[in-house]
Amino acid sequence: MGEVDALLERAGIARDADVEFFALAHLGTELVGCMGLAGDVVKCTAVEESLRGTNLVAPLLMEVRYAAIERGHGRLFVYARPKNARVFSALGFRPLAEVPDLAVLMEDDPRGIERYQASLSAMVRQGERIGAVVINANPFTLGHEYLLRAAAADCDIVHVFVVGEDRSLYTYGERFHMVNSGVAQMPERDRIVVHGGSRYVVSGSTFPQYFLKDAPDVSRAYTGIDLQLFRGYIAPVLGIRHRFVGTEPTSEITAQYNAEMTYWLCDAPMAAPPIEVHELQRVGAADQAFVSASKVRALLRAGRLSDVRRLVPATTYDFLVHKQPWDAVGAGGERS
Amino acid sequence: MRITHDAVAGTLESGDVLVRVAPDETLGVSVSTSVEAQYGDVVRKVVATTLAEFGVESGSVIVEDKGALDCTLRARVQAAVARGTDEQIDWPALIGRLP
Repeated sequence: MGEVDALLERAGIARDADVEFFALAHLGTELVGCMGLAGDVVKCTAVEESLRGTNLVAPLLMEVRYAAIERGHGRLFVYARPKNARVFSALGFRPLAEVPDLAVLMEDDPRGIERYQASLSAMVRQGERIGAVVINANPFTLGHEYLLRAAAADCDIVHVFVVGEDRSLYTYGERFHMVNSGVAQMPERDRIVVHGGSRYVVSGSTFPQYFLKDAPDVSRAYTGIDLQLFRGYIAPVLGIRHRFVGTEPTSEITAQYNAEMTYWLCDAPMAAPPIEVHELQRVGAADQAFVSASKVRALLRAGRLSDVRRLVPATTYDFLVHKQPWDAVGAGGERS
Repeated sequence: MRITHDAVAGTLESGDVLVRVAPDETLGVSVSTSVEAQYGDVVRKVVATTLAEFGVESGSVIVEDKGALDCTLRARVQAAVARGTDEQIDWPALIGRLP
């Protein structure tokens, strides 16, 4: 890997830790090109300067493609610098969203997003005022429930999207289950539509970083791309014009995300209609300032189940008690 | 015939073509070619004919052509379909039907 790192460094990029496969190109014994694969995302592509323009990326992508198919990924995505979009366009990728000078997301399935939109159109619900909430629900707390309730009070229909990618304490299936069973207990359940994750609702935790300089850039690139996908492809199908989000005073990333949300969903010039952003103060439990999933995880880690009970809906509590991922959190403490 | 799993054939080198197939409920074919102006219609026709010869009813077929000859194009489509289906292919009958 030292050789790969050196090549990437000469190209001004880094190696993301989640790359599971590298296609390598050698000239004699010297490494002159590489392309990485993480899940269904092509990343960490570099070609030695002297060989640029020789279309070395084409055979590299073929190797990556075969590796991807072996791993069950027939379609690929790439995140890259916008100036490199041209290279990937020639390889069959087309841009989905771009944050100028920072990042572009491309996919290689010409009908990928249309197919997702077609599946969404089966979930269309009629209403005057239609809102949306995007949550990770790791786990699903009273804070999430409050957010949904507030959105439902303000809108006729609320669409809830559960982030799909699995790099959370609870798996996607577990999080989806908690949201579904939590919503099923709410009086507003008939007006709340729960959507499973998709490749077009991006998780910040899996966003590629290799071509970005620092954390603020990563955050700006991620929010810009995720929100453009939402406004450009998802919201128009479902008629969503309002998005609800909780403010999280202790998390800088969430605070910044919420600020950027207003820009990308409302102010940025796009063909898709603007979406009004509603920021809600997080609900406070009896003796806590507010409820957040990270706080609940900290309590779980400490084994303080009785405290957890006051911060999550009964459905989530039942789930957590019956399926405590003790090993995952590495917790000892009281096991009730 | 149905495409039952992801498969590819070909390359993106000049004079070749990359054909990707994937399972889908309907048959969807998308073709992009570097020789669109001169041969776009021909490329589409060869792809459609080859798929029809196999009797492909469903699947996503993505063709990225870099100026392949018709025979290359046909061979790549055949290889991708053969790799992407679990069904038996009656090669003798198929070859008998070829021009």
